[in-house]
Amino acid sequence: MKKLFDRVLDGASEMMIRAERSIDEIEAKFGPDTPVQLPETAYNCAVNLAYKATRISKVSDLRDALEVIQDMIKRRQSTDAIFNAGIATAMSAELIEVCKYIETPTPYEGTKYHGHFSDAEVRELGVPLVTGDIPGFVVLIDEAPTDEQAAELIKGYQSRGIFVFLIGRIIDQAERMGINMGFPVRVVAVGQDIWTVSHIISFCDRAAMIFGAIEPGDWDGFQEYTFVRLRAFVNAFKPVRDMTVACGGGAIALGFPVITNDTENMWRVPKSLIIQENVDDFIETSLEARDIKIKVTNIDIPLAYSSAFEGEIVRKKDMQVDFDTSKVDGFELVRSRDLSEVEDHKIEVVGPDIDEVEVGSVMNLGVLVEVAGKGLQADFEPVFERKFHEFINKAEGIMHTGQRDIIRVRINKDAFEKGFRMKHYGEILYAKVKSEYEKVVDKCQVTIYTDAEKCKELRAAANEIYDKRDERLANLTDESVDKFYTCILCQAFSPSHVCIVTPERLGLCGAVSWLDAKATNELDPTGPCQIVTKEHPINENLGAYEDVNEAVREYSHGALEQVTLYSILEDPMTSCGCFECICGIEPMTSGFAIVNREHTGMTPLGMTFSEMASMTGGGVQTPGYMGHGKHFIASKKFLKAEGGSARIVWMPKALKEVVRTKLDKTAQELYGIENFTDMIADETVMNDPGDPGELMEYLAGVGHPVLEMEPLL
Amino acid sequence: MSWEGVIPSEEVIAATEELLKTAEKVGADTWQQRVRNQTPHCGFGESGTCCRICSMGPCRISKKAPRGICGCDVHGIVARNYLRFTAGGAATHSDHGRSIAHTLYKASPESDYKVKDEEKLLRIAKEWEIETEGRDIYDVAHDVALAGLNEYGKPFGTQRFLKRAPLLRQQIWESQDISPRAIDREVSQSMHMTHMGCSSDPEALVRQALRAGLSDGWGGSMMGTEFSDILFGTPRPVDTEANIGVMEEDMVNIIVHGHDPSLSEMIVFYANDPEMIALAKEQGAKGINIAGVCCTSNEVAMRHGIPMAGNFLAQENVVLTGACEAIVVDVQCIFPALGPLSKCFHTKFITTSHIAKIPDSEFIEFDEANAGENAKKILRLAIMNFKNRDPELVNIPKQKSKATVGYSVEAIKKCLDGVTNSHVDELGTMKPLVDAVKSGVIRGAVAMVGCNNPKIRPDSFHVDLMKRLLENDILVVVSGCSAQAAAKVGLMDKEAAKYCGEGLKRVCRLVDIPPVLHMGSCVDISRMMVLASDIAKDWGIEISEIPLVGCAPEWMSEKAVSIGNYVVATGIDTFLGVDPYTKGSEQVRGFLQSGIKDWVGANFIVNNDIDMLTTMMIEHIEEKREALGI
Repeated sequence: MKKLFDRVLDGASEMMIRAERSIDEIEAKFGPDTPVQLPETAYNCAVNLAYKATRISKVSDLRDALEVIQDMIKRRQSTDAIFNAGIATAMSAELIEVCKYIETPTPYEGTKYHGHFSDAEVRELGVPLVTGDIPGFVVLIDEAPTDEQAAELIKGYQSRGIFVFLIGRIIDQAERMGINMGFPVRVVAVGQDIWTVSHIISFCDRAAMIFGAIEPGDWDGFQEYTFVRLRAFVNAFKPVRDMTVACGGGAIALGFPVITNDTENMWRVPKSLIIQENVDDFIETSLEARDIKIKVTNIDIPLAYSSAFEGEIVRKKDMQVDFDTSKVDGFELVRSRDLSEVEDHKIEVVGPDIDEVEVGSVMNLGVLVEVAGKGLQADFEPVFERKFHEFINKAEGIMHTGQRDIIRVRINKDAFEKGFRMKHYGEILYAKVKSEYEKVVDKCQVTIYTDAEKCKELRAAANEIYDKRDERLANLTDESVDKFYTCILCQAFSPSHVCIVTPERLGLCGAVSWLDAKATNELDPTGPCQIVTKEHPINENLGAYEDVNEAVREYSHGALEQVTLYSILEDPMTSCGCFECICGIEPMTSGFAIVNREHTGMTPLGMTFSEMASMTGGGVQTPGYMGHGKHFIASKKFLKAEGGSARIVWMPKALKEVVRTKLDKTAQELYGIENFTDMIADETVMNDPGDPGELMEYLAGVGHPVLEMEPLL
Repeated sequence: MSWEGVIPSEEVIAATEELLKTAEKVGADTWQQRVRNQTPHCGFGESGTCCRICSMGPCRISKKAPRGICGCDVHGIVARNYLRFTAGGAATHSDHGRSIAHTLYKASPESDYKVKDEEKLLRIAKEWEIETEGRDIYDVAHDVALAGLNEYGKPFGTQRFLKRAPLLRQQIWESQDISPRAIDREVSQSMHMTHMGCSSDPEALVRQALRAGLSDGWGGSMMGTEFSDILFGTPRPVDTEANIGVMEEDMVNIIVHGHDPSLSEMIVFYANDPEMIALAKEQGAKGINIAGVCCTSNEVAMRHGIPMAGNFLAQENVVLTGACEAIVVDVQCIFPALGPLSKCFHTKFITTSHIAKIPDSEFIEFDEANAGENAKKILRLAIMNFKNRDPELVNIPKQKSKATVGYSVEAIKKCLDGVTNSHVDELGTMKPLVDAVKSGVIRGAVAMVGCNNPKIRPDSFHVDLMKRLLENDILVVVSGCSAQAAAKVGLMDKEAAKYCGEGLKRVCRLVDIPPVLHMGSCVDISRMMVLASDIAKDWGIEISEIPLVGCAPEWMSEKAVSIGNYVVATGIDTFLGVDPYTKGSEQVRGFLQSGIKDWVGANFIVNNDIDMLTTMMIEHIEEKREALGI
């Protein structure tokens, strides 16, 4: 039997030789000085960068990188040599892949393969990883024994929320079985060849740099981060080649167990390399190997239910019915009642069910969830209500957008065929509300209205309630409350970051408002949201409090000394890495440019989102840069210490549209300026969005208020 | 990162130097001084060539006088001395086992000694075909103890525990005619064979040494271990601290020292008695601090997390701190020097066994009937002695390390269960360890045992060796004073895994174990025999094929030679850092260091150069791997 270590060493050498060949070809074709840059990342060639701090910017650097790799492959029979060789294999693989991106910036365009992941994609997964919505990652390599088993496996992982990466022939199997693939549904066809695995390792290493602030070259730091924080694992199908074994060596070095059905020349290593001959048991074997426990909520519906389906889109042609409150009446409402008023698990549908209407009909949808419990507060109503989007979206074949009375829900034909009806819609809400808020919700009943008259009548009533809530929210300012909250939900990934959540400043991920934090604290008093008093102000304009500093010191475990709530220049709040937006100082205008994660273009700072984002994150404090939620932009506390939102000089057009109404209102109230959002430049009003001169011209043209303000520096 | 979290030897030396200054101040004699007085040692004694078995001599063999008066040549003399040395050790361990068997025999729900691990009792009863169905547990205990006691003198048959070994090993013992019969018989026969006018054939004498050793390891010692577990609980992982810094300046410090847990268990139990604690407080102390020295320490550390103050050559140090209210001893490895030494301080030196009666001590006899009462008496003596401390003399070096101890075979299996996968693996086996070794992640294992010996700077061989093994992904299991050597500097802290090779580091992390596993006291080397047997069975190979070696780098006692014999006879090559008085005979050396390999598949390797010894061990393990094709 060939020794395991020899297999890794042979595989590592083979991958390195292939990398060398790729580099030879590229050099011959493009010469040594051609730039090398993977798209949309501030961490170019992240695998080589991570482990050996190798910085690659042109073709000749690839050769230096190869030398580093060569040094890592030593023919010794020790685990240290194997871990080095395994990681060297991933580094070689990355060099092979990056060569493709020298040929063309979009080598995978028009193919079924995804290839390289952008930084934005890494960041997007921050929140679901933290909340456990994505309990782990699996990398499936090569061909399952049958197409059916491949499909079973992929769907099985998907239904458990596990993010699935596919490499090699299993992609063809998935395709044959009609499996919906893509980043939004969390099944990604990475590439055909084993070296595309480097994109996944790059993904992991960037998570460590972005969320964990691990520095390039910190070998132990990366190993520790991936081992402890990234619940990834590999399933490799037989026959497993030496190169795959070598990649497996790298995976195991990172702490990711490999499960295989190959018995030929295969060695068992407890909790690291597991032989499971029965592919049908791969999922359970793998989850146990990586200590992943899936939180199961039993929901009595005929559909798969998982976070993996949250990003699923139901197109018109696949649609059974459409609920659209822009055309007909509808709403979503949670009301807290007395215990005697609620009958637990009562689900009622008022009006026609979906099997009573034509395919493609537009229907009314009113959802009333009534809850009761001893610890319940009326303030929790909107907190629960806002979760409906996630609760409903997780069902396979159902798409949900919006909230309150602006909602759109589509149910696809597949779901309908499987027997999904409106009572199941109620079942989902019942089960999720009861399980997620079991501490406070003792009873829950759901009424679904599809009757047009009822919807019209109740929508009006609901609007009165929304208005009242808004009034209360409008009065809810940082000054009007006596406590803030910490949020350290992210610490599973970003161990030294602490968010301070206030009524006017939601968590930077956009997912935790002050009310959410309050509810979280009351539901779980020792949990991630802890009370921060505000009894000892140091400077209220900056938003500096002794209490806040104390909390930050305690919960960052000493990594951070002090933060201000309202300044970006003086001790700004840190970021975990999963922020929705980042703003950075634009020195020429003394203003700030804001860019959201979805925007991939250039900003007037001469940097893209990814590059700006890499300035902060991982709990690092970088004056002049700050990650934040979209809704913080319209807050009166945004950039307050620097003069407020009048300092905003640039935003992507799409982001402007999201914040326009509220931002205009804020500017009106603060400065008496109408339509302020129009004064903010975006990529459509500039020929070269990266040119600050052009920005200045635009601002002067529209009379932007920043030009009247004191210079910042 | 090279062992920076582990206490360096310079600090250990400096702390001892400080204590020796106190000794000088009070005019106390120390072993360091006595070693100087005794050096150089007698060359004839050292090479094993002096015979004083009859009164015609003593005869000393030299070139000029190649034979003794009776005509015995140097090989016969060296071999006889070697066998007597072995017999001394086998008798000692086995008598310890016998004493525990007696305690088990007398165990009852009303007495201070009860059955704590019923499961183990029932398992052994089943193994020995003793009826358990529907019987009172104490009746079963009584029968098991009696059957055990009969193992010492039964007229026919071989040791019951031999059946625990893999079949192949049992066959080797049979074919080599070394399956041990009644324990006392093997010791007696060894004495008989070495009597004037009996055996002078070195081969026969060495063979009997192996058999006498086996009667210890697979007889008396194993009984000592197993019955102690029944009475006091089978060890499982527990956190504790080690090194002299575990003594507390503001508490009543009571040191338990020796080997037999029957005494120390009672002291530990009654030290928690509110009445005793109240008395200590009345006397101005914050409480009672029990700490151990030598193997008694291992016993109570493994079962109760009692801190370990030190090993064999630290026994005088605990008194030299000036903060030791009492040093309470049972049997074995107790320096008579503690008598006069304790007189230089306020320390009460309390002996408790007729087997170890020592001048200048207070003798408080300890047996099953008076255990509780006398334990309290001892505690009271110590507590009332707190006020007699001379504060001027108090100096407790600040050294101490964290340690996780208590890895019995049962505990190791339980830990290994933690890395199995319920969809492909079975529970309660050694297979995860076997797989880790087969794949190469762990290269092999070393069972490190044995004492301190003033010929070597205390612990230096143990610790240096372990560090190198760990760096090379070799797992280390330890017992006796070797265990404390590791614990004292921090090698039993789970954190120490970070200094190991990547393979061992990963294994320690996944299994959640320290890189050096504490398996117990010196009788508990029998646990290692069971461990090796279970590995061989789960692997499907013979014990001598496992990449596993034994090592006693600083050994000194007769018990250690007995151990060496049974470890080798079990098929495990054993590396010694001190020669067992055999240098005088090429033939005896030839048997022990090579010839017996043909008998039992293993032999001794002796080298007092620690670097060479380590290199040889690592090479040896790699050779075994090569032979297995792994």
